[in-house]
Amino acid sequence: MPESMDMAESRGVVALLFRRFTLRHWRRHWRSTALLVGILALGVGVFLSIRLANRAAVSGFDLFTESISGESDFVLRPRAGQVLPESVVTDLRAAIDPLPVVIFPVIEATVAEASGDTTEAAPKQLLGVDLVGLRNLASFGAGDFGDEDGGVGFQLGSPNHGFVADTWARNEKRKPGDSFDLIINDRSTTLTIAGTLKDDPLRPAVPENLVLMDLPGAQTLLGMPGEISRVELVVPPGSMATEFRQRLSERIETLSASDTVLWRLETRNDRRASAAKMTHAFRLNLTVLSTLALLVGTYLILQAMEAAVVRRRSEIAILRSLGVEPGTIRRVWLAESLALGVVGSAIGIGLGWAMAQLAVGGIARTVNGLYYATTTEAAGLDPSETLLAFTFGVLASLLAGWLPARDAASTPPAQALRTGNRVDGFKLLQRPGLGVLVALIAMVCGWLPVWITASGNRWPVGGYLAALGWLIALSILAGVLFVPLSRLLMIWFQRIPEACYAASQLRRPTGRHRLAMAGLIAAIGMASGMGILVHSFEGTLTGWINQLLRADLYVATAGATNATNANVLTPTTWRQFAEDESVEGVDVIRRYSLEFRGRAIKLAGSEYNQQSDRRIRMNWLQSPENSDPQSLTIVESDGAVPAWVNEAFSRRFLIGRGDRIELVTPRGPQAMTVKAVYADYSDEAGTVLVNRNFTAQWFDDETVSNAAIYLKPGMDHEAARARWMEKFPALVIRGNVKLRSEALRVFHQTFAVTYALEAIGVVVAVIGLGLALASLLVERRNEMTTLNSIGFTRAQIARASAIEGSALAAIGLAGGFALSLILGVLLIYVINRQSFGWTLEFRVPWGLLVGLGFLTLATSAAVSAIIGYRGSQLRGEPEE
Amino acid sequence: MKGVIKRYGERVVLDRVDFSIAPGERVALMGPSGSGKSTLLNCVGGIDRPDAGEVHVAGKRIDRLDHDALASLRRRTVTTIFQFFHLLPTLTASENVALPLQLLGIKSAECDRRVAELLGSVGVDHRADALPEQLSGGEMQRVAIARALAPEPSVILADEPTGNLDSTTGESILDLLESLSDRLGCALLLVTHSRRAARICHRTLLLRDGKFEGHA
Repeated sequence: MPESMDMAESRGVVALLFRRFTLRHWRRHWRSTALLVGILALGVGVFLSIRLANRAAVSGFDLFTESISGESDFVLRPRAGQVLPESVVTDLRAAIDPLPVVIFPVIEATVAEASGDTTEAAPKQLLGVDLVGLRNLASFGAGDFGDEDGGVGFQLGSPNHGFVADTWARNEKRKPGDSFDLIINDRSTTLTIAGTLKDDPLRPAVPENLVLMDLPGAQTLLGMPGEISRVELVVPPGSMATEFRQRLSERIETLSASDTVLWRLETRNDRRASAAKMTHAFRLNLTVLSTLALLVGTYLILQAMEAAVVRRRSEIAILRSLGVEPGTIRRVWLAESLALGVVGSAIGIGLGWAMAQLAVGGIARTVNGLYYATTTEAAGLDPSETLLAFTFGVLASLLAGWLPARDAASTPPAQALRTGNRVDGFKLLQRPGLGVLVALIAMVCGWLPVWITASGNRWPVGGYLAALGWLIALSILAGVLFVPLSRLLMIWFQRIPEACYAASQLRRPTGRHRLAMAGLIAAIGMASGMGILVHSFEGTLTGWINQLLRADLYVATAGATNATNANVLTPTTWRQFAEDESVEGVDVIRRYSLEFRGRAIKLAGSEYNQQSDRRIRMNWLQSPENSDPQSLTIVESDGAVPAWVNEAFSRRFLIGRGDRIELVTPRGPQAMTVKAVYADYSDEAGTVLVNRNFTAQWFDDETVSNAAIYLKPGMDHEAARARWMEKFPALVIRGNVKLRSEALRVFHQTFAVTYALEAIGVVVAVIGLGLALASLLVERRNEMTTLNSIGFTRAQIARASAIEGSALAAIGLAGGFALSLILGVLLIYVINRQSFGWTLEFRVPWGLLVGLGFLTLATSAAVSAIIGYRGSQLRGEPEE
Repeated sequence: MKGVIKRYGERVVLDRVDFSIAPGERVALMGPSGSGKSTLLNCVGGIDRPDAGEVHVAGKRIDRLDHDALASLRRRTVTTIFQFFHLLPTLTASENVALPLQLLGIKSAECDRRVAELLGSVGVDHRADALPEQLSGGEMQRVAIARALAPEPSVILADEPTGNLDSTTGESILDLLESLSDRLGCALLLVTHSRRAARICHRTLLLRDGKFEGHA
């Protein structure tokens, strides 16, 4: 009983002190309180925005086009290749009869909207469905196709009419009856708008790039009569729906188990999981980066909270001298941190949502380019992500408040009351032994193998732990540089009093110096480490592109930069290039999506020219006995087809030279022998490369995805390009240089988000340095009185502050660059290799590092000088 | 100082104060807490500006000087000794004394010679390399005196220089101030609560509610 009374009493004291001191302090110093809240909001905002944008980009594909029928219960997709025969619907109906199930065959293709420049053609998703069946579905309102009778002459099965998104029609100022051009494979066609599809609040939004047609019309338009892309099965709502769904599930699963069926069963959840898996590594890296940004933000909050504690040390000391226990003081500070954390995180959520709208475009473009089509243009405020960011922000604030409050509460009141005393503060960073220990642990973590989850996701946990460990270790160890740098400055500037004074401050650095340094190390290390990764990636990619792109002209269909673009060059078209009199040779490739060991991969059928001397050169990781592509045509004695696999495939499935694999194609399972492993930086799912003659047989398909053309010596590239562009207006024909620059453009676009995160990190760290110096000056106000009394001018005090700030930044830079080299090694040789399966060449971007160093030093000096100038008139406590 | 008025808000801290000190003279300034002693010292040292009246130091009017000119005044002409010593905690004893000399641009060798001489004259030459926190209160005040004497000022302002010392050490500090001021011929304005401290001065002024009450 007395114990609970004590607790109640203690709570009462905390509440009283919170009202009397904390709230009043906030009111009186509203600017610094607002800054603190702003910093916290920025940290939470960055973290949340990246996670929201990631989530939106991943879920974008799962929208309207994925489930045209609404909530389909099952989706059947081709087991191999991209199409199913339409007869599968009849077979299916017979197999599940008499269950009342609506079957929706769907044909889907990525086409392009024609514009003046085919390289800029916007991709569109063309869906062909049974419009009559769709209209009868209860979940689809009768008014959905209400505009088709608007005098545009639409008839079911028309290959010339399509429905478009109402938002697109409004943006493009189009109306039913208007027409627009589409590029399908290598030809152009005109479609009339039959009607517009309006958004329904109960269904996913209609994507702007959708073109919806009646199934037979779409099949005719795409040149795929009798073929479909998938079948959706829906059990209509009703009292028996659950039971029917169960029975349907049993039937379908029994059927799927048979080897003879052409399809595989997929639920919506499977599809979502598969998309999430595809982008797992990409999203994980972005999340880790945003977490690092939050970590830098936490350093800043820590500095800001410590600065607040410094300003109020005498207040704390007075309270202690009045008999308030250290524990109560800590609780008051924790309550303050909690309140700041809650307010800052709440604002950060709004900020994060707004920033996510900016980031989502960049991330969606990357996902589009590398993984699959996503139409996301806006990021929603996901409750689980919001809660995570909020919790993260509040915890960071509590941690940031607790550490300095613990130090302050444990300082004897008499010492704290003497404002001239130096405060060592924050003890954690003053233990080099701990730094060495953490460095050793980090070193061990760097050697840990990748952790593969039950669902097959690869987590380079060891690499991330090593990165975090090195960050902490160097934040502690870089502190040993203070004394030598102080000595150097004393020697170099022995006749300059302000430099001597500044150098003397580094002779015995306080916890605040070390904290500012740690913040800089984290930010510079992160920015430069990513810089090393990007530079290494760029260098490797450029070398790889130089080896790969040796032809003069490259031909593809419009919108070909999209990862899911399935448009192809028909044999009539690509053979015309091969037979052209100006052409010496042609490389062609055809890619198919397949499954291997339950995971999506690509099978590529290639045919390389034998005429030109400039042949494609592979970058071998495990070289073949015979590197001539012609060797891929020779079937082995046991019937196995020779294949080259890329590094991602090799690492994902632990398959190397000499191993045997089997892939299921429409012509049944095909055995292959792996002859070599090559570097490939365009794919992280894994590709198996065979000769095109085999894929042509297995898929009964002579089309190719793209072609590389080698012109005869002396031929004019531009003239040839212009001639063919005129002849094939639906094709994109790029010169060698143009394609290289296009590849690098996509590359830089991929890293656009990381550049923004780096910039935020460095800005936040420099603000942190400014805050640290400001609180140091407040703490040294008696020294300011002394300096003034012996004749220091304001400019001299400002210069002293600038020198101290620059020296601090220099140590931060030294530690940050050391960290960046270690992070670079971890990112390239551990994290990247384990996540993406790519081997990169280690390259240091010296120019970037020098620029970053100069910028950081200059900014730090300027910020410190301003703070020094403003702080030069601070006065110590009167001594009377 | 002629007709100096200084207010903090509504409160008048110095009320039409007239006061002068001759070269080489030592004057004790006494009065209860809050009587305006430190404010008067700050006005003489150019750390604070009067709201009205004139302040002249070494023949120069200083109450209208800008920041840099005041800094120059404090560098060469008026130095201060504080109750809590105010040594820069990160500098050694010799570096603390050297700092005003460096500000005057005195060359290293000359500077080192004078620092050694000054530390010797106040009796702490054996602690030249010690940081302030390694010194006793008396040693710290001796270093502070050496620093105040370093630029050979015309006026030394001493704000309770023995207020934070035990009586024996305080006595020795007062003796030191007296002998050095005699030797160097600089004026000393000593703010103190102690009549014993005032004994080294030629005259004593009593300040109450911002006005001089008379000579003690």
